[in-house]
Amino acid sequence: MYSWRKVKDRMFFVLILTISILAITPIIHMMVAVLANGFPMILKAGWGFFVKTPPTPLSQDIGGIAPSLIGTAILTLVSLPITIVLALFSAILVNEFPRNPLSIAIDVVAKSLASIPTIAVSMVIYILVVVPMGRFSALAGAIALTIVALPYAYTYISTVLGSIPLTYREAAYSIAMSRWKTIVKVLLPIAKRGFAIGILMTMARILGETAALLFVVGRYRTATSISIIEPVDAIPLLIFDYILTPYPIMQQIAWASAAFLLLIYITIFIAIKIIVKEVRL
Amino acid sequence: MYAIEMKNVNVYIDKRHILKDINLRIPYNSVYVIMGPSGSGKTTILKVINRLIDLIPSSKIDGAIYVLGFDVLSHDPYDLRRYIGMVFQVPNPFPHLTIYENVAIAAKINGIAKSKRELDRIVKWALEKAMLWNEVKDRLHDYPHQLSGGQRQRLCLARAIAMKPKILLLDEPTANIDPVNARKLEEAIISLKDEITVVMVTHSSHQAARVADHVAIIYDGKVVEQGPAKHLFLHPLTDIGQKILRGEM
Repeated sequence: MYSWRKVKDRMFFVLILTISILAITPIIHMMVAVLANGFPMILKAGWGFFVKTPPTPLSQDIGGIAPSLIGTAILTLVSLPITIVLALFSAILVNEFPRNPLSIAIDVVAKSLASIPTIAVSMVIYILVVVPMGRFSALAGAIALTIVALPYAYTYISTVLGSIPLTYREAAYSIAMSRWKTIVKVLLPIAKRGFAIGILMTMARILGETAALLFVVGRYRTATSISIIEPVDAIPLLIFDYILTPYPIMQQIAWASAAFLLLIYITIFIAIKIIVKEVRL
Repeated sequence: MYAIEMKNVNVYIDKRHILKDINLRIPYNSVYVIMGPSGSGKTTILKVINRLIDLIPSSKIDGAIYVLGFDVLSHDPYDLRRYIGMVFQVPNPFPHLTIYENVAIAAKINGIAKSKRELDRIVKWALEKAMLWNEVKDRLHDYPHQLSGGQRQRLCLARAIAMKPKILLLDEPTANIDPVNARKLEEAIISLKDEITVVMVTHSSHQAARVADHVAIIYDGKVVEQGPAKHLFLHPLTDIGQKILRGEM
């Protein structure tokens, strides 16, 4: 016979399980829908998916996403390292010198930036970068993406750093480690998995961002550009534009692009889980 | 000359008066035990000596503190800590480093070892001094989470002595470990005092009686009694001292 305590325990477990299933069901549904619609299109396009330009409305060939792929790669390669370095140094400064006026200012600015609509970032970068340069460019896109991703990266890395128990800092200082060596030799290695996942989350933010790029990169997808000061395209922009068209072939390439982004994300996530071992405290 | 001398030391944290006019003289090559109830300021005394108190941004120190002749409040804290090892209440070996690396890092950071062979020798010496060598000599590349709590604490002791300190601060080092490991740690502490001045915080009057040469009793941030252990255990002067030594506070 169950006691009331056991019944309550069971009910609580069922409640948590139900809420968890409700929470992850839309995510799983979305992933399945994207992969089911998109993956066959990648297979249909074959190698051409990565090297050809996108189809026109009347194309017979499904084409590819080469300009958008190269554009996204350039934007990510420029924006991600800058974002991570800025976020890391900001998080270290704020965690190690919490009462410093600069730390307080950085914390306030980073948290404020997170609440600015990304389309507004696109408008600001249009005025500050695109207009003076006289052209759309990957550089303008990378700056916009850095502004959008920086608060997320900063908040994540700051949380990871702050979650390391004080006792390890004390241990490091007690053997005469300097503050800098404590950060490099103790704090960062302890939190390496958290940082790796933080970098991935930031990368996912950059790979998937659409609105921040709307007015700044030029959506140049008739040929492949590899210059940072030339107009480029990005995969999310291609998805945004093509999924809204009435042409099936363009919708197919949009689904395939979404599936491709999802596969990149899942692959990196699994790789990090396997390669970067968690430090057991 | 004393290894550590504190004159009218007052410590404030968030405007709370934690240590009140502390005066201590700790002789070289002795085991100096600080006793007192929880929250009386024992750990704060240790953290003032090696300036770990600086990690609390709202802390403020008044008075004069001399460690090995250095003026603690004006000396570079990173340089000061080269001479002062510390073992904490909760074992805190670096979780990302192996047993070997945990000990070696202290020697390397302080430039004690010039070659790999010398480093190996220091690691072995420190682990022997901490009475841990026989238990880990075949598993030096294991990680701390694979050790028991008592072994982890002795690893922390080995790490602290690998930097060849002149002073060793021990903050209730046996509070979280079993009696067998506690006894091994006590033996290690007693064997160290020929080379190192040991300052230990403990709750246990039995432990203090076993290891102490000198005792100070702290209550509410003040030193209520201090003196040679043998004398103080037999003739405590105050009621508070008697109660703390009897384990009633």
